[in-house]
Amino acid sequence: MGAGLRIARETFRIADVDRSEVLRYLGYHGQGLSNELGDRIDDTVAHCLAVARPRATLASFAVRAVTDDAVELEACTLRLTGHDIAAHLADAREVVLFAATLGADVDRELRRLSLTDPLGQVVFDSVATALVERAADAAEARARAYAASQGAFTSWRFSPGYGDLPLDVQSSFLAVLDATRQLGITLTPSNLMVPTKSVTAIVGIHPSPQPGLESSCSICALADFCTIRQTGRTCRG
Amino acid sequence: MVSYAPVSTTTPLGHEAKRTLRIRDQHLARVLAGEEFLLFDGAMGTQLQERGLAAGEIPELLCLTNPTQITEIHAAYVAAGSEVVTTNTFGANRSKLQGNATVEQIFTAAIGCARASGTRYVAADIGPTGALLQPMGTLSFDDAYDLFAEQVRAADAAGADLFIIETMADLAEAKAALLAVKENSDLPAFVTMTFDEDGRTFLGTTPEVAAVTLSALGANVVGINCSLGPADVAPLVLRMLPWASCPVMVQANAGLPHVEDGRTLYSIGPDEYCAAVTGMLDAGVTVVGGCCGTSPAFIAGEKALLAGRTPAPRTLREDFTVTSAQQLTAIPTGHVGVIGERINPTGKKRLKEALRSGNHDYVMSEAIDQTAAGAQILDVNAGLPEIDEQATLVRLVSELQGVSTLPLQIDSSDPLAVEAAVRLYPGKPIINSTNGKQEVLDAVLPIAKHYGCAIVGLTLDEDGIPATAEGRLSVARRIVAACDEMGIPRQDVVIDCLAMAASTDQRAPRAILDGIAAVKRELPGVRCVLGVSNISFGLPFRPLVNATFLAASFAAGLDLAIVNPMNERLMDVVNSWRVLSGEDESAQQYVAAYASRSDAPAGPVRPAFDTSTPEGIAATLGSVADTLQQIAAGMGSGQVTASTAKAPAADVAPAEAGNDGSPEGKVRDLVLAGRKDPVPDAVRVILADTDATHDAMYVINQVLIPALDEVGARFEKGTFFLPQLMASAEAAKAGFSVLREGDEASDVPSKGKIALATVKGDIHDIGKNIVRMLLENYGYDVIDLGRDVDPQAFTDCVVENHIELAGLSALMTTTVPAMAETIELLHDQAPWCKVIVGGAVLNPEYAQMVGADYYAKDANESARIAGEVLG
Repeated sequence: MGAGLRIARETFRIADVDRSEVLRYLGYHGQGLSNELGDRIDDTVAHCLAVARPRATLASFAVRAVTDDAVELEACTLRLTGHDIAAHLADAREVVLFAATLGADVDRELRRLSLTDPLGQVVFDSVATALVERAADAAEARARAYAASQGAFTSWRFSPGYGDLPLDVQSSFLAVLDATRQLGITLTPSNLMVPTKSVTAIVGIHPSPQPGLESSCSICALADFCTIRQTGRTCRG
Repeated sequence: MVSYAPVSTTTPLGHEAKRTLRIRDQHLARVLAGEEFLLFDGAMGTQLQERGLAAGEIPELLCLTNPTQITEIHAAYVAAGSEVVTTNTFGANRSKLQGNATVEQIFTAAIGCARASGTRYVAADIGPTGALLQPMGTLSFDDAYDLFAEQVRAADAAGADLFIIETMADLAEAKAALLAVKENSDLPAFVTMTFDEDGRTFLGTTPEVAAVTLSALGANVVGINCSLGPADVAPLVLRMLPWASCPVMVQANAGLPHVEDGRTLYSIGPDEYCAAVTGMLDAGVTVVGGCCGTSPAFIAGEKALLAGRTPAPRTLREDFTVTSAQQLTAIPTGHVGVIGERINPTGKKRLKEALRSGNHDYVMSEAIDQTAAGAQILDVNAGLPEIDEQATLVRLVSELQGVSTLPLQIDSSDPLAVEAAVRLYPGKPIINSTNGKQEVLDAVLPIAKHYGCAIVGLTLDEDGIPATAEGRLSVARRIVAACDEMGIPRQDVVIDCLAMAASTDQRAPRAILDGIAAVKRELPGVRCVLGVSNISFGLPFRPLVNATFLAASFAAGLDLAIVNPMNERLMDVVNSWRVLSGEDESAQQYVAAYASRSDAPAGPVRPAFDTSTPEGIAATLGSVADTLQQIAAGMGSGQVTASTAKAPAADVAPAEAGNDGSPEGKVRDLVLAGRKDPVPDAVRVILADTDATHDAMYVINQVLIPALDEVGARFEKGTFFLPQLMASAEAAKAGFSVLREGDEASDVPSKGKIALATVKGDIHDIGKNIVRMLLENYGYDVIDLGRDVDPQAFTDCVVENHIELAGLSALMTTTVPAMAETIELLHDQAPWCKVIVGGAVLNPEYAQMVGADYYAKDANESARIAGEVLG
């Protein structure tokens, strides 16, 4: 049983976004890249970094029970359902839940661009997607540091909607983290988060080192539709 | 003194503008007057967590399942000195309770728990809905209002003494909650918003904006709660105090939480908390308590602070104020403000066309340009006889907030349209306008009062526009008396003395200027506004007359000018007047903007067009020759730009046809290179070719469409990727807009109408926006219904517009059923309409399963299908 991790709200300083990752989200696979477009991406990265407020809220909970198709946590109403998350957390003794977001200003900028500059919206969206992944990385790093402080190890982060963990858990997930109050993250009736550039995830805390630090395509709900794998790569790089 | 009692005090939608409060006792009445302090309680949630509430549990249900515990918490606060306890109902709305209990059950039980504590007052707590309002979220203003109204009615019926609307981050949501209180109860409303370290709410509202908007809207107390510790809240509340025309309250957190040995603790204790509160009391805060992490010990400390104190005096600003959700425009007495007039279809062909077609790109560009040019408020008018003015106005008001943070002036003669627009507007707008006619005063003043708007009053009445200054003053008196009677503050009343053409009556300008001076002198506090351009009607070189008259008007006391801010001459008058009036202190702004300006045409070394001497004439001729040479060089280089060193070989495929040197080849190359800026001129060159009378259709069919087809082919082959496709589409669009602006406009037929939407439940609109852009560039009229679109609303649009092709987008597996439902409705009610679907979770098989006629894997494919279906 760990000492418990609770970070109500942390703002991350993220200095840059990798251009090649942005290009990947834009469907780039080696076409000619004009200076104009390259400059535009660089400008957009700078603009997005200025507009975004990458933040996260984190809390740890002890695992009470892992069954075949659910994970139950101590002192927490959230029940993680599905075979995939149960298998993933089979020997976890604790989990860190986190929500990360770039904030509403990014959505406002996307809306402004949707009304004025469709190409700008597409590029900005790709940059913001890359950036919110960096924010999630930063939050995950906090979880890893916490695990290390307890002499434990983390598994890769697992998000609602991945595998057979349903998006329906989002409402409880955000409530448990008080994420609406801490970060301003809200849900639509269809369980989509607004601000749209937000990530929720579960990081398992395990007694022994875990194989691999990446999710796989095999249980991805979008595997049937994926256009990235056709190019010989995955959305993880 | 003129007296005037309006016959009606209800708005067109039936809301009573003059609200009589039910106030429990004299102490509370004095609190609301700012004469006495009021002590609230501290945290409920963190107290419950200490007693074992699990994370994620719905705390409001405890009012039913463990009322004793809730009453114990309240009672501990009462014992510590709280005069008000706040019910345990923060999340008790229908949406968050998820059917676990009714709103009535929770409020009845919660108010019972509160009363049982022996408290003097019970505050019914109303927190955010948990969903974000449109346009960024999917919750409509009306639905949010309904959630709040249900809470208000339940709390009022169960015997609350007042409402506390708290932890609001969205000004629109706070407004919906406050209106729900005003329209469903006669109890006082306290409203607090929550701010970030950067001094804005999550949605960008500042303390000044919150104070102005909410106090104008009729909040009885406004303030700040949650998020920050008291030391961080203090500077924000200092910013709020001068702008709130009501008492100000603070309920801060006990700092930040952290975990020690499994227990959540807060960083600040009662002493440190009270030390910070002392400073806020000294600044004029009169209502205090605590938020997350505070306990009875904090309240006891605050009670000791208040003992023997009297409220500190406050100095309120008397500026003319209007707000958007993110910006306050404040014009102090003696300063002048600019209202941008461009978004008004009267006499503007392109704007009329934009409003008729529903394609508002041009309107948005007008808003952006006016904002950049120095407007401080934007006038919005959608008055065209052949369109639904109310619906268009409401949509424009929403869209304009997406591109400009300037406050808006809602300009309509239809009171219902005005009320619909100002009700939804998240801020304090100006209503343009009322006038001296009794019928109009009766219709419009209740709207201004109920929704806390500033109001323009035109000096005309049943007898028309008075010819003299005295006549105008007399109508103004009548309007101001009616506003006084309605309770609209003087500084929110703006009189328009109405500019009339000098060419038809040369006494008119004097009468207007004297009218302004008389209104300012005789009706203290009232402001004056004027649309100046009528003055020059019928005269040549109108901008000069307008500018001269504007300067004279400022001298007469004009506060707000309704002008075209893109007109440099008029903005020159504004900027220079600000120096002469003292508004621009030390002329800093003026010097920064005008240091390098001169009446002599530009030229860093020599006066380029000096024709006063023979040398000057020679120099001028040289300069003209240089300029011509530069133009020629520029045109020549343009033909090879695509393959010059500046854009290296990797740039785009080399200009195959462009090397022919023809104007057509040049446009084609620019489209392929995705360079939009030079396209309009290149297209004009083709149109101007007198040897080969080329019309708009020639440019479309022989140049732009073939270029786009080539772009599409390259995208298909994978030699172009998405941003290149879009950059090319942008370049082609720049060409199309040249064709649409000229006399050729009527020669450009539409290739057909296409309706697009992202389906209900889905808020991803990027893919749909790309499709829209491409289809528009192929010459289709696209009706874009946006995202999260209701199946029936989409079908209705298809039926009303006789649309033959519809495009639906879905990005989530969970929203594909909504797509199927929409298609089923379309097949049923609009069987002629073909449906294309696209999105990340679709493939040809899924498209067939949901009943679509076509599957488009990308935007390019959509354009190809549109060509197949519509030609």
